[in-house]
Amino acid sequence: MHQKASSSQSSAGFSGSGALSHVYIQYPPLRCSIPGARGLFYDDGNKLLLSPTSDQVFSWKTSPFAADVAPTFDSVNEGPILSVRHSLDAKFLAIQRSTNEIQFWNRETGNTFSQRCKSESESILGFFWTDCPTCDIVFVKTSGLDLFSLDSELKSLHLVESKRFNVSWYIYTHESRLVLLSSGMQCKSFTGYQLSSAGIIRLPRFEMAMAKSEANSKPVLAADDVHVVTVYGRIYCLQVDKVAMLLHTYRFYRDAVVQQGSLPIYSSRIAISVVDNVLLIHQVDAKVVILYDVFSDSRAPISAPLPLLLRGFSRAMTSSSQSSSKGAETSEAHGLNGTESVVYGDGWSFLVPDLICDTANGLLWKIQLDLESISASSSEVPSVLEFLQRRKLEAHKAKKLCLAIARTIILERRPVSMVARAIDILVTSYSYSIKTGSYFKGMRAEKSSSSGVPQVKKPSSTADVSASRADTHGKSVKYESSSGTRYESVKSSTYPASDSEDDMSTEPKKISSGNSPLNTDITGDQDSQVTSAAISPDEMYSFVFAPADEEMAGDSSYLVAIIVEFLRSANSEKIKVHHNLYVLIIQLLARSERHTELGLFIINKIIEPSKEVALQLLESGRQNIQTRKLGLDMLRQLSLHHDYVLLLVQDGYYLEALRHARKNKVNTVRPSLFLEAAYASNDSQHLAAVLRFFTDFIPGFKDTSDHNTYCRILAEMNSSVAV
Amino acid sequence: MGLSSVSTVTEAIKFCIFDLRRGQNEGQELDKILFFFPADLPFSTQLSVIGLSEGLITFTRIFSPEAACEVIEAEGHSHVFHEAEQDIWMVMVVERCKESEAIWRIDALRRVLKEVHSLFVMFHGSIRALLDKEPSGGLVRSHLYSFVMDYLSDFLIGKKLQLPNFRDSLKERGTVQMLTVGREAAIEVQSLVTVLESCAGNAKCYSMILFQDLLVSTTLSPEDTINLFTYTVLRLSPRALSCGMSSWTHLRKGNASSQAETGSISAHSGAVLDQFYHSRDASSGGDCSNYIARPLQHGKWTKGKDGFLVTDIWNAGPGSSISTTPTIWLHQTEERMYLCAFQHRNLTLLFLIPVSSIPNREQGVSIVKQQILENASLKILKVEEKLSKGWGGENAYHVSGYRYLILDGDRNVSRASPPAKVATLTKDSLVALTKLRGEVDSEKSRAKWDGLNHDKDLEICIRAKNNAWVIARVTRAKELYMVLEKANETLLYASDATENFSNRYCNGAFSFN
Repeated sequence: MHQKASSSQSSAGFSGSGALSHVYIQYPPLRCSIPGARGLFYDDGNKLLLSPTSDQVFSWKTSPFAADVAPTFDSVNEGPILSVRHSLDAKFLAIQRSTNEIQFWNRETGNTFSQRCKSESESILGFFWTDCPTCDIVFVKTSGLDLFSLDSELKSLHLVESKRFNVSWYIYTHESRLVLLSSGMQCKSFTGYQLSSAGIIRLPRFEMAMAKSEANSKPVLAADDVHVVTVYGRIYCLQVDKVAMLLHTYRFYRDAVVQQGSLPIYSSRIAISVVDNVLLIHQVDAKVVILYDVFSDSRAPISAPLPLLLRGFSRAMTSSSQSSSKGAETSEAHGLNGTESVVYGDGWSFLVPDLICDTANGLLWKIQLDLESISASSSEVPSVLEFLQRRKLEAHKAKKLCLAIARTIILERRPVSMVARAIDILVTSYSYSIKTGSYFKGMRAEKSSSSGVPQVKKPSSTADVSASRADTHGKSVKYESSSGTRYESVKSSTYPASDSEDDMSTEPKKISSGNSPLNTDITGDQDSQVTSAAISPDEMYSFVFAPADEEMAGDSSYLVAIIVEFLRSANSEKIKVHHNLYVLIIQLLARSERHTELGLFIINKIIEPSKEVALQLLESGRQNIQTRKLGLDMLRQLSLHHDYVLLLVQDGYYLEALRHARKNKVNTVRPSLFLEAAYASNDSQHLAAVLRFFTDFIPGFKDTSDHNTYCRILAEMNSSVAV
Repeated sequence: MGLSSVSTVTEAIKFCIFDLRRGQNEGQELDKILFFFPADLPFSTQLSVIGLSEGLITFTRIFSPEAACEVIEAEGHSHVFHEAEQDIWMVMVVERCKESEAIWRIDALRRVLKEVHSLFVMFHGSIRALLDKEPSGGLVRSHLYSFVMDYLSDFLIGKKLQLPNFRDSLKERGTVQMLTVGREAAIEVQSLVTVLESCAGNAKCYSMILFQDLLVSTTLSPEDTINLFTYTVLRLSPRALSCGMSSWTHLRKGNASSQAETGSISAHSGAVLDQFYHSRDASSGGDCSNYIARPLQHGKWTKGKDGFLVTDIWNAGPGSSISTTPTIWLHQTEERMYLCAFQHRNLTLLFLIPVSSIPNREQGVSIVKQQILENASLKILKVEEKLSKGWGGENAYHVSGYRYLILDGDRNVSRASPPAKVATLTKDSLVALTKLRGEVDSEKSRAKWDGLNHDKDLEICIRAKNNAWVIARVTRAKELYMVLEKANETLLYASDATENFSNRYCNGAFSFN
């Protein structure tokens, strides 16, 4: 049975891009089981996985993700540990010892101090470190929030501010810097704060919608049912409604929370990950995952629900089962035992944004997108390209896929209109990446989106906000477009806009100019060859058009039509096109003898003039004098006088050449060329004129051998005429 | 037909087409006449004109077997010769008169001959082919008669046939006038062309796009472009369509009166003439079996509701309601093509589909039309809008102070001052220009026969009687003619003016030192 399972997996593993899955976790995982560990904690502020034992706290860096990363450890006092987090500057370790005590541990000096809550009536629900300018750490208590600043000298916390209200439970993600506090009987009333380096923003109170199974039942919302995700720099809240079997989405703006519609769910247990701005909704019971790209307005999934694939494991499995017969114990050293390889096992907890922690087995997996299979699963080329262009994590792969797709549709001779749409997408994407600078610097979108902190956005007008607030239950998708995002959807309808740049007020811009040190951990973690998937015109030429030309030899009109569409796109985006593309057009048109059209292309400047273009016209004009003349004219208009004069002489227009040479002071062309041409025309008067010209205008010409030779020739010509 | 009535008045112009291979035996001389204008001249007169022409051709062939005479200038008349097809000659005889408007440039007249022949071939195929089809000559005569008469009716001013004279010296027949378009618009146009030509599936189609009377884009060969462009400007462009509408009643009237007169004339020329052009009256009379399509007939094209231009010219007969799509012959590929024309405001799109590619004829054509409407409509709107925005109006190409004509012999393109501006020139300037152009023409043809494949550079500046500067510059197949009235008297001034013009409007193509 085991064999069977592994063989089926291996086929999936080899093909890689089969229709079996769109998302995978790569073997090997990070192993984080320590003997005597008292649970695993994830510190998302520092992206550390922490595992405390009785007197030590082990920590693994999870970003960049590597299976073989060695843990570091801090020694701490013994005691219960409810929660543990490093401070953002990594100097302190905060350990929640009980519901009313948090202990701080200076990692350099080893000094400790504790902070207790005074009142008996309140208890600490949790805490998190923040990069907010006014405070360093926030305690979430049943009675509200306490914001403290840390005084490392005095080894104490200083209460900056406290915000009082009842809290049933809370959720916080460092990614969004957003803390959501639940209250009320059903725990469906929410208050939210964003504590970012830009300051503290209080979100308006809002209620989540919950369907009732019966008239009198009042379901209570659990913390597990609410997820905060950050996609394309926007913050969403996803709420699982188990009765209605719907996933309600809310988007946070600076002073409004707007419902965005709902997605269907097929499992009562739902987990959510975000990989490279793609929303992954794990239908845990059904053991499938559905992908959404919420960038566009469409709420349709990217593709059909497919299982999560464990990739790369099967080969290890087979090798280990070859070496040792088959025993869970022996293979554990290299492979995984039966329970460990179970996808969506009971011990799985999903960490923000894209990690899975198998708490039962002490494994940490990172979820990855299989771009090949996603792009292969859809025949809608334009939407696939849009999707790929938005990918940042595997930008290189996305780019290669885009190029391959573009080449394929041309080679398959899809209708020009369809190819044109595909090209439009690539060109707009490139243009966008140029504007944001991500193409040149290979920067990640998150970095450009002002200090990596997604900002809650501000709707454009308050009237709209009140309208959208009033109707949180109705079809508020419409309100969304009328309130905050209209501007955005017009301006960057296709691209992962760093939203905060687009429609956030001026505040984040100030921050984005100076990189605050707290962001370094966010931006520094992905420095491995990350570039944008955008494709430059040069790359379009060398990886799409030039190969297509080679393979399609023969019919050029189709390719010309495609290139014209490309030029149209590039022109509308004001992107310069390299002259090698123009040279290619000339070759294609000349090859099919379409000289009239070529003329129009040149005269109307569809093909922009350059020396290379002119030389290609001259080359292609060997069979067609008009085309050759276009090339000559272009040389003249570009003021490439030397080449122009030389070509005129070669064509026998030596008098014009001489005139032009004199006018533009070209003295780099050898006199003998003119003299030869004049001699070849067999006109002694012209030869004499040319000779005279050089004698008059070039000092010392009289003493050259050219002068003597041609004087003699001239004399012979005259004497033969006389005879 | 409108012309027969005039013909008796203006004997000043005679126009004939004859075949040297026919009627070589005595008594059969009439056989060689394929067309004669005025048709009501007695055959003896017709034969004497043709006899003289034939004699001249035979005589000059002794010295120049390749190219016989082009023109004979007698004291009272000029004979302009054009060998349209091998042994098929077109001869125009015009009166020379110093005082009147009858000051001609021979090459302009020859271009008229060339034009009517090219258009005829485009619609009906070559004269020789028609002769081979029906050796008696009846078919070709009836075709030529209706076609040439329709063509000549365009030169009718009042009751007088006015051929291009000195007043047209800043025009060049047989060239194309182009619209100057910006890069962005040009790319849009090119994109539209792609869409258009993909509408008919895999068949090799051609297209031509005009804005008003100016060419925007073409995928046809240069010859075909000129022919189709000429036809479009004559009959299909928005201006031609509105002209056709307004002059309809006038033509009707003319037609009716001419009918009466031709009747009276044919009464004394007798049955011979009837037999000669036996189906001449078919279009207005009853004889349906010999119906001849008259593509140049006025007022026959209208714009349909769907934007396509429709005509009943090619319908099976005058009474027939089944519309037939026009077909034309392509000069380059010798292929027969369906001609579809679509018009949106100022934009005229011509679309040619090979007849061979559409098996079910009319049905197939309408499918293609449907495709065009579906696929290209948006682009057509966009292109029209773009071009209209960039269009500088009637006087867009006027350069103040200059009256000019630029000819690009390589591309068969010309651009000239707008006619209204040319009309402000005095007769003296225009006559001087006509003479100058005549000189350049003969210089050019001399260079051609000398076998010099080099285009010669030429520059002539003339101070005309009225103190206007008349300038010609020819360089590498490009020609610039210019009249500067009210200009400074120094030659340097004239030369500078030309230089400036060349630099600013011709990319320095005519700049000499």
